Amino acid sequence: MELLLPNLVNGISFGMILFLIAAGLSIVMGLMGIVNLAHGALYMVGAYVGWTIAVQWQLSFWLAVFVGGLGGALVGLLIERVFLRRLYKQPNEQVLLTYGFVYILSNLCIWVWGGYRRLQFTAPALYGSMDIAGMPFAKDRLVIIAIGIIIAVALWWLQDRTRVGAIVRAGMDDKETTTGLGINLNLVFTAVFILAAFIAGAAGVIGAQLLGAYSWLGTDILLYALIVVVVGGLGSVQGALLGGLIIGLIDTFGKALFPQFAMFTIYLAMIAILLAKPSGLLGRKT
Amino acid sequence: MATDKIREAFRQPWQSQLIRFTPYIAGALLLVILPAVMPSYVQSIWTRFLIFALFASSYDLIYGHTGLLSLGHAAYFGAGGYAVAAIMLHYNINSFWITLPLGIIMATIVSAGFGLLALRVSGMYFLLVTFAFGEALYAFTWNMPWLSTHGMQGIAGLPRPDLGIPGFTWNTISFYYFILVVFLICFFLVYRIMNSPFGHALRGIREGESRMRALGYNTWLYKYIAFIITGAFAGAAGVLFVYYNRFISPTHVGVATSFLPMIMVIIGGSGTLLGPVIGAFVIVFVEYFASLFTPERWPLILGAIFVAAIMYARGGISIHLTRLWKRLDYRYGSTKS
Repeated sequence: MELLLPNLVNGISFGMILFLIAAGLSIVMGLMGIVNLAHGALYMVGAYVGWTIAVQWQLSFWLAVFVGGLGGALVGLLIERVFLRRLYKQPNEQVLLTYGFVYILSNLCIWVWGGYRRLQFTAPALYGSMDIAGMPFAKDRLVIIAIGIIIAVALWWLQDRTRVGAIVRAGMDDKETTTGLGINLNLVFTAVFILAAFIAGAAGVIGAQLLGAYSWLGTDILLYALIVVVVGGLGSVQGALLGGLIIGLIDTFGKALFPQFAMFTIYLAMIAILLAKPSGLLGRKT
Repeated sequence: MATDKIREAFRQPWQSQLIRFTPYIAGALLLVILPAVMPSYVQSIWTRFLIFALFASSYDLIYGHTGLLSLGHAAYFGAGGYAVAAIMLHYNINSFWITLPLGIIMATIVSAGFGLLALRVSGMYFLLVTFAFGEALYAFTWNMPWLSTHGMQGIAGLPRPDLGIPGFTWNTISFYYFILVVFLICFFLVYRIMNSPFGHALRGIREGESRMRALGYNTWLYKYIAFIITGAFAGAAGVLFVYYNRFISPTHVGVATSFLPMIMVIIGGSGTLLGPVIGAFVIVFVEYFASLFTPERWPLILGAIFVAAIMYARGGISIHLTRLWKRLDYRYGSTKS
């Protein structure tokens, strides 16, 4: 029990971080038909920006989250408007292009912030623990979980209960008809891409409490996010949430129970899903 | 037939002959004669270029010809390299005749396994899965103590391969020619595969898979075989790389190395014979000059080249070279050909 509960909380909080990244990745994949491989790099930019604001300048953690998100959104805007837009309907080239940005952004981050690793931090407001049913829980983990739930509900509401969400879902199913109905799908692409980039950047700041910031973080977290998408299924908020929680829990418990095989537990989960249900647990039908 | 063609060619005026044979003369000059008169560090870069040209050619089989964007190509490169490095380290078997087939077999096994799972899905999922598999192998090499020399990540201090020729010693130029011979054999095989009915079927799948299926082709099997073949050639490149570099680390299995053949194919021109070779030439030499001036900014330069190539030079360099040659051939060459 002593081992189970903290790991459960850690696993769920890590799963929430994974959800935040994978949700944007998965929606952009479903809508625009491209894998944004720079998504992890946007997360990393957010993590570095947030670290500077929250640790170096000792400013508010919430400000750091917001500015980290803005940083991610700004880079996302640049990538989408200046580059991806010019490669319309060439999915392979678009994917390769985002891969180039992984290199550029990682190296720029080393240039600006130096090569050494930024350690995990806890915002002063989130120090300490909270007692729930007699058990102490770390406050920062609970806050991560709460943020994850709030954003999950907000995104789910946006996706399934609003006109904007209906347009996005229609765009995923049939681009030609959606455009034919008079909807400016290019604008929708840009808006969704920037929202995803904002969430990735903000997730970077939130996740820096668990993972810190380092130069190959972009690739590391992208790998997790891709596996989450494979497990959860593509193109929906629910799939990203389910996949994120599963992978977060498997990874955390794997590291706690069999440390020497911890790197492989998530791959086993992915292979199992590929063999049983290649479209993912909650994937949209294609 | 062939001799008739050559005799016919020699009967034509000298300009047309010159242009007809220019690419071959230039190729022979660049690959055979020029390195011999270069300083040894240039010979070493030339060797590296050939290894990566083979690696990029293998990637072009799956990306350029079959149209499958695989993001984990270094997995087979690393599998071949690690198999050879491990057998050299633990069993002291250095014979070229044992290690090269072993490395290729290892890479083939890995690509056959990965392909079986990755080809269950298509489109974007294929990207995700190949990327994840490449990184899985990266994690494996990182975490297996057996795959590292004591106290470090990776296997270092490897010997050059033993060719089994008595009294033969390695130097930079003999090693270069050795790599050149292996490269030419592999390149010839790639060329034959590309121009075989099998290669045409692959390009048919790239252009329209459902159409090929309607014509009665088992497209899954074609793609799977292409996946395995590309893995075998990447494994051969990995083995040569271990002979050359005498050190292999998890980085050579991971995404950083997977990126290299991609950028080479894009720069040179995908789906062409010469494209990957030219791309490898450009990248290896730019890397060398970058390492002289700003080694720490090399990834930034690489990424910028990559973005620029995709945005502005999508056809690749080889397209322009071939066009130039065709134009010259048209203007000065014979009309018979």
